[in-house]
Amino acid sequence: MNAIAPPKRAGVLKRLLRDPAAAIALGFVVAMVLAAVLAPWIAPTDPFDNNLALSMKPPGTPGLLLGADAQGRDLITRMLFGLRASLMMGFVATAAGGVVGVLLGFLAAFYQRWLDGPIMRLMDMMLSFPAILVGLAIAAIFGPGLSSVILALAIATVPLMARIARGSALVTMRLDYIEAARAIGMTDARLIWRHLAPNCLSAIFVFTTLRFGQVILLGSALSFLGLGAQPPMAELGAMASEGRNFLFFAPHIAVIPCIGIFAIVLAFNLLGDALRDALDPRLRF
Amino acid sequence: MAPLLELEGVARHWPVKGGVVRAVDGVSFTLARGETLALVGESGCGKSTTARLALKLIEPSAGRVRIDGADITGLSGGALRRMRRRAQIIFQDPFASLNPRLSVGEAIEEPLIVHGIGDKASRAARVRELLGLVGLAEWQAGRFPHEFSGGQRQRIGIARALAVQPELIICDEPVSALDVSIQAQVVNLLKDLQERFGLAYLFIAHDLAVVKHMADRVAVMYLGRIVEVAETRRLFADPRHPYTRALLAAIPRPDPRRRGMVTPLGGDVPSPLNPPPGCRFHTRCPLAQAVCREVEPPALEVAPGHRSACHFAAELPVVERVAEGGLSPVAARRLALFGQSAPSTLT
Repeated sequence: MNAIAPPKRAGVLKRLLRDPAAAIALGFVVAMVLAAVLAPWIAPTDPFDNNLALSMKPPGTPGLLLGADAQGRDLITRMLFGLRASLMMGFVATAAGGVVGVLLGFLAAFYQRWLDGPIMRLMDMMLSFPAILVGLAIAAIFGPGLSSVILALAIATVPLMARIARGSALVTMRLDYIEAARAIGMTDARLIWRHLAPNCLSAIFVFTTLRFGQVILLGSALSFLGLGAQPPMAELGAMASEGRNFLFFAPHIAVIPCIGIFAIVLAFNLLGDALRDALDPRLRF
Repeated sequence: MAPLLELEGVARHWPVKGGVVRAVDGVSFTLARGETLALVGESGCGKSTTARLALKLIEPSAGRVRIDGADITGLSGGALRRMRRRAQIIFQDPFASLNPRLSVGEAIEEPLIVHGIGDKASRAARVRELLGLVGLAEWQAGRFPHEFSGGQRQRIGIARALAVQPELIICDEPVSALDVSIQAQVVNLLKDLQERFGLAYLFIAHDLAVVKHMADRVAVMYLGRIVEVAETRRLFADPRHPYTRALLAAIPRPDPRRRGMVTPLGGDVPSPLNPPPGCRFHTRCPLAQAVCREVEPPALEVAPGHRSACHFAAELPVVERVAEGGLSPVAARRLALFGQSAPSTLT
């Protein structure tokens, strides 16, 4: 049996990198994540080291590449730690909201007769509250802080994820291999885990990437409003908020964190779009 | 001994806006061990729904399904799982019937894992054996479905169905998505496996040439009901229901002299949402009388093993050879293809 093996299909990563915008976005995201993870080791100073003599020094001052904020803290250090907080917040909120939402979406699709109505109407109710309002309510209950923001964003993510998961599960469930799996007699849990979930994953993965960017933006907005990270903690939205008082004489304090937010959200959006193209089975090969 | 599969008055009604769709409306038949019963009929007549009802993939609205005399309609949990070992299904669309994320080996092994058959090594050996049985090579176990052709995928689906050594396989139009030459290979494979393992097939099809080759008996469905059942040869030679006659007459025949001789059925299948009263076929039947519009004909035996649900079943004239000389030249050539020996291994 000597058949010539057909060439392996190009991997997702390879197809992803064919798009230059996606390659740049991916590189940027990887660099940001590395910088955030390694912040305590690569930051030039401590994030809380203040030196009022350096207060509001503009970018380019010797030793202060990005300048200093009102308290005279090095903005490079603040940005690194702010990035750390923002990415962590985005990651935890997206992951927590995603897991719960995907689970609910699968259950709604799989047990359509009993659970679809109740679960999806609950999701509709949750969707009708803007994330900012949820954040306000949770901050009112638990007090402002990063964990309140994470909880609020996770709650706001659940219904969106549930809708995506339910939608792609409903499409997948109509395929014969799901029926074949039923005919084999496996448990529902195995069917969902082995047959349903893997085939819905690409849609969920793409949406997660896009949602990650939105969550960071929303989280920064909540922090900007003072509901999230509290001073002296560094967080991109909170830093922009602190900087807004000095917008006219030291604009860099607010502008630099905003550029950071903008770049991260843009990178995740580009990545999400490119992933959708790379994972779309109709565009394979 | 009880028949392997028995359906008794099985119905499935789907509630929809403004009524109830009677997809399957009181179907009864039996299937013996090692036998092939073909279920034929137009699209939408309820063939596939009947297949899924027989496997309890869909719950019947009424009626009983028995496997080996045991009612399976109320089964759940472990008992249902044990039933699933006895009856499997293969599908029409070879592209939708395999999970694209599982390798061929994993897909064939999975039923064994689910039913706790064997250990890892013996399962791997069984997968290799099954691949051989359906004419695939062992090394292909590590490949993924998208690397195979339609015919090969259909073989993989057959291997998966065979894994648990079922007694009954429901074939839901297993060849209608394949090229004619590949159809022959797959049909021959199915016949081969039937002989080796004594399988019973419920063979759903709309291609009468394939049915004639495969089936021991044929049941003709129309609008959710079986209108005629008979042994294959009998049904083709002496159909006793006008719908069966129309189906047989519709087999294409490339013979210019026959032009204009065939009167195809007019009109469309009535909606199963609102089936006509009396005989369901009377709206399209060339022989319909007043009685047909009012009284539903019972399925009466016109000869041993031959039932027809037509008021005039016994009075229908002997057909002017509906199947003259058996089959058309095209169908005959296709049958010749089917007659060729066991399929060779595909690479």
